[in-house]
Amino acid sequence: MDMSSHAVGDSPVHRLNPLTKLVFAVTVTVSAFAFTMIWWPPLLFCVAIVPMVIVSGTQRKFFPTFLALWVPVALTVCLMQGFFYPGAHRVVAGIGPLELKYEGLVFATQTALRVMVLMGGFFLLLLTTRPGTMMSAMTQRGMSPKTVYVVSAALQIAPALAGRAQGIMHAQQARGLSVTGLRGRVRALVPMAGPLILGALTDVGDRAVAMETRGFGTTRHCTYLTEVPDSTAQRAARAAMELCALTAVVANVLGVLR
Amino acid sequence: MIEFRDFSLTYPTGSRPALQKIDFIVPRGQICAVVGADGAGKSTLAGVISGVVPHMTGGETTGWARIGSRMLAETPASELVGEVALVMQNPFNQLSGARFSLREEIAFGLENLGVDRAEMVRRVEQVMADLRLTALADLSPYEMSGGQQQLLAIGSALVMRPAVMVLDEPTSQLDAVGAGVVFDALETLRTQGVTVILFEHRMERPARCVDRVLVLDEGRIAADGQPDDVLTDPRLADWGVAPLRYTTAARQAVERGLWEADRPLPVTLEAAAEGFDAALKGARTAGGL
Repeated sequence: MDMSSHAVGDSPVHRLNPLTKLVFAVTVTVSAFAFTMIWWPPLLFCVAIVPMVIVSGTQRKFFPTFLALWVPVALTVCLMQGFFYPGAHRVVAGIGPLELKYEGLVFATQTALRVMVLMGGFFLLLLTTRPGTMMSAMTQRGMSPKTVYVVSAALQIAPALAGRAQGIMHAQQARGLSVTGLRGRVRALVPMAGPLILGALTDVGDRAVAMETRGFGTTRHCTYLTEVPDSTAQRAARAAMELCALTAVVANVLGVLR
Repeated sequence: MIEFRDFSLTYPTGSRPALQKIDFIVPRGQICAVVGADGAGKSTLAGVISGVVPHMTGGETTGWARIGSRMLAETPASELVGEVALVMQNPFNQLSGARFSLREEIAFGLENLGVDRAEMVRRVEQVMADLRLTALADLSPYEMSGGQQQLLAIGSALVMRPAVMVLDEPTSQLDAVGAGVVFDALETLRTQGVTVILFEHRMERPARCVDRVLVLDEGRIAADGQPDDVLTDPRLADWGVAPLRYTTAARQAVERGLWEADRPLPVTLEAAAEGFDAALKGARTAGGL
């Protein structure tokens, strides 16, 4: 069961503090959305994200997965906005009663390109950061261990529960339950959901006991096995990126480069 | 030292006590096995020793139980962390769910206790080596087999260096090799003076390393003594505990006159082999073979 998109590596990008990569992803996203020039998001993508991908050595995993995720989103946005953008009047093409309009396509292209930057920045973060290191970095920066626990547990336990649901379905099928066709699938919900929910509730009780006996919830100051690397240069870089993001927001509010 | 005196417990929904007038003392460093049929009260006893019952389950108690100077009725599990470690039957439910590798999962309890990082690394590496888990250090706990998860749960308890280890069927999902690793770890704990309370169904392997066996039957202590005595007791089956294969084989040999009359019934493979060897030699000397 693959719990994360993390691509194992030891590149300079992998070694960066996760917060630096998080601030980078947020900054390029904010910048992409702050300015309206249509060439701006692709420029950001090519100048900021692509070099980072190449330095991290994850391009073989990054580009195919990124395209598989982004292209359907971009096509959906283009179709929806192209046909239904409010106030558009310049018709580019017609399909039956539907008309593809220029203003809608321009807006869709801009949105899709901005989303490209957003997805690229965060996918790079996921690819080059171990989830455990990310969580440790968040906790060490002052986020509540309980909040971090909820996020981590959701990341791991949800796929584990999906695996269990699969097991229950196979067991029920072995006992004659049919899950073919819409009616079959709807009928299968009750025998599937019952054991899954009851099992999950039992697990919660046991897990609470286990967590209690392992000191979760004590008021002691926690320490961490995972050492999260950081440096003055990275702290300075984060501050500079935060300043850039803030500047972009202010520029957007003031209408600069719109 | 663990001490129970006239201890009884009834769950809020229970019609009869889950534990009835329990009396025993386990000295420091002893490995004590608790056996009994399903519903005999083993898990409840494990829960009481680890501070889970009645604090997290509810229930009324009479008599008292203590670990060292701590009265268990007044000490919840959270206050026994680091002193008592519990390994439950289902390893899946003992995973924190919040750590992404075996190494991090083992360290989870130490992180909560605020153990110094260098010490934490040392202990985690040691436990992984002892349980032969080092090769799996970076694997997600959820990608591991049931047996590997069980070893991980045991490792997560061992790393806390508790004074008392409570193990509720710790080898139920392990193969012979994995079970062997666990019992080797128990031997190490003995040398470190750790008190171990082992709840088990299959006693063939633990019979070699435990100092004492308690039999629970319907919430009461039915027998308490050395493994050689308790595990060869003819009433064992009446208490819902399957006699050991070695003992059963030797008992049948006794009925056929093949087992030396003054030789005790065996509870280990080694004792059984020795007994049958002696019986064979005796038969050869008598000209029977």
